[in-house]
Amino acid sequence: MTIRPDNRLADAPMQPLRCQRCDGPVLVRKSSWEQTSIQWSEQAMEDCPNLRTDRYRTCPDLRITIQQATLNGTVKVVDE
Amino acid sequence: MITVAAAETDAIRAIEVETIPNRFARGWHCLGLAQSFKDGKPHTIQAFGQKLVVFCGEDGKVNVLDAYCRHMGGDLSQGTVKGNDIACPFHDWRWSGNGRCAKIPYSRRVPLRARTSSWPTMEQDHLLFVWNDPEGNPPPADVTIPRIEGATSDDWTDWRWTEQIVNTNCREVVDNVVDMAHFFYIHNSFPTYFKNIFDGTTATQIMKGKTRPDVARPDAEGNTMIGNTSVATYHGPSFMVDELTYHYQGFDLHSVLINCHYPIDENSFVLHSGIIAKHSDQLPKEAAEVLAGKLSGFILRGFDQDIQIWKNKARIDNPLLCEEDGPVYQLRRWYEQFYVNTAEVAPEMTERFEFEIDTTRPVESWARECEENLARAAAEGQS
Repeated sequence: MTIRPDNRLADAPMQPLRCQRCDGPVLVRKSSWEQTSIQWSEQAMEDCPNLRTDRYRTCPDLRITIQQATLNGTVKVVDE
Repeated sequence: MITVAAAETDAIRAIEVETIPNRFARGWHCLGLAQSFKDGKPHTIQAFGQKLVVFCGEDGKVNVLDAYCRHMGGDLSQGTVKGNDIACPFHDWRWSGNGRCAKIPYSRRVPLRARTSSWPTMEQDHLLFVWNDPEGNPPPADVTIPRIEGATSDDWTDWRWTEQIVNTNCREVVDNVVDMAHFFYIHNSFPTYFKNIFDGTTATQIMKGKTRPDVARPDAEGNTMIGNTSVATYHGPSFMVDELTYHYQGFDLHSVLINCHYPIDENSFVLHSGIIAKHSDQLPKEAAEVLAGKLSGFILRGFDQDIQIWKNKARIDNPLLCEEDGPVYQLRRWYEQFYVNTAEVAPEMTERFEFEIDTTRPVESWARECEENLARAAAEGQS
């Protein structure tokens, strides 16, 4: 089967960001303040100490990084 | 000449669909309760586009072979278990669990290349699993099904298990992992929190829900459910473990729900559900058994609601998603890893992806709809 792109990314793609703690590269998208998509890279997964202890939770350091990047406008919120 | 802008605005969106692959997922598939195969008889299973025989030898090991005897094509699942082998009903050729012909009673020796397809099996937590791999490789050590502690604990009920055939491609059931809104519209639930995590060979759905005021009513014991918290993970392509906690006024009820399937062919699958519930002060052993039975019935009704949709819907490879939908495309990208050769599993299929839905608007909308339903019911009650 062909892997197809998410129709929602057509006019608002994922944006690159690096975790403040590990510098691991990820892609982020926020359609609103409350919604978050995070695409991890192999490198970010390797570097993240929090993933090693809990894979069922978003890394708190990355969560803070995204919040700050959203507040300072590095990550654009689609809604706004 | 049509401009791009005009085409984008005016064009009718077509539903796109590729031919369903005639290939079945690599991974562990649960065939149900192991005990049901341990009656000394061979069992016929239609799976992975083939007919299989499942039999338990005198050594207690459950084996899975291609059902058709390589001699003259007899159906081994109509045969007899003899010792640790399955004997063909046609000429009594004996086949071992490893797929090798062990003996032909009327012949001096077994011919060369007398080997049939066999599937690795595993028994865990009273369940029987079979490993399918179109490439024929054994299961890697790190591709496992996690232990379910409650399944072998005296503090939990026994499995309540159900099985049924569904006549559609099994991608439909997997899609539910990301489909928050259908839980409201189809299953009378009210999700308030919804998040997905895909990571390696697992796909997780974390959902919190509250009881809908327009469908709520206390159970026979007078307990009112307030809501639930569910952490459901697919371990591989077909076996989902859902740690499901029901919140009641004053206490929680812990249960584990299994939602699993195996493909019969590309147009049908066998859908299983299993549930165990934990005993507690509020729910002593016997009450827990009764409740597990009720929950099992509740899950079956949920499946019926899904099946009604699946029966009539179109397969769609290009769903048109709004921002309050879950990550359908990314789930299917994850799911694709099980349908390509191991060497062709791309990093994008397994790299971790997280998606948390903004439930603000759905919750507002659904609360309003519940109120309207209550008002209508009240008006009808008065008239």
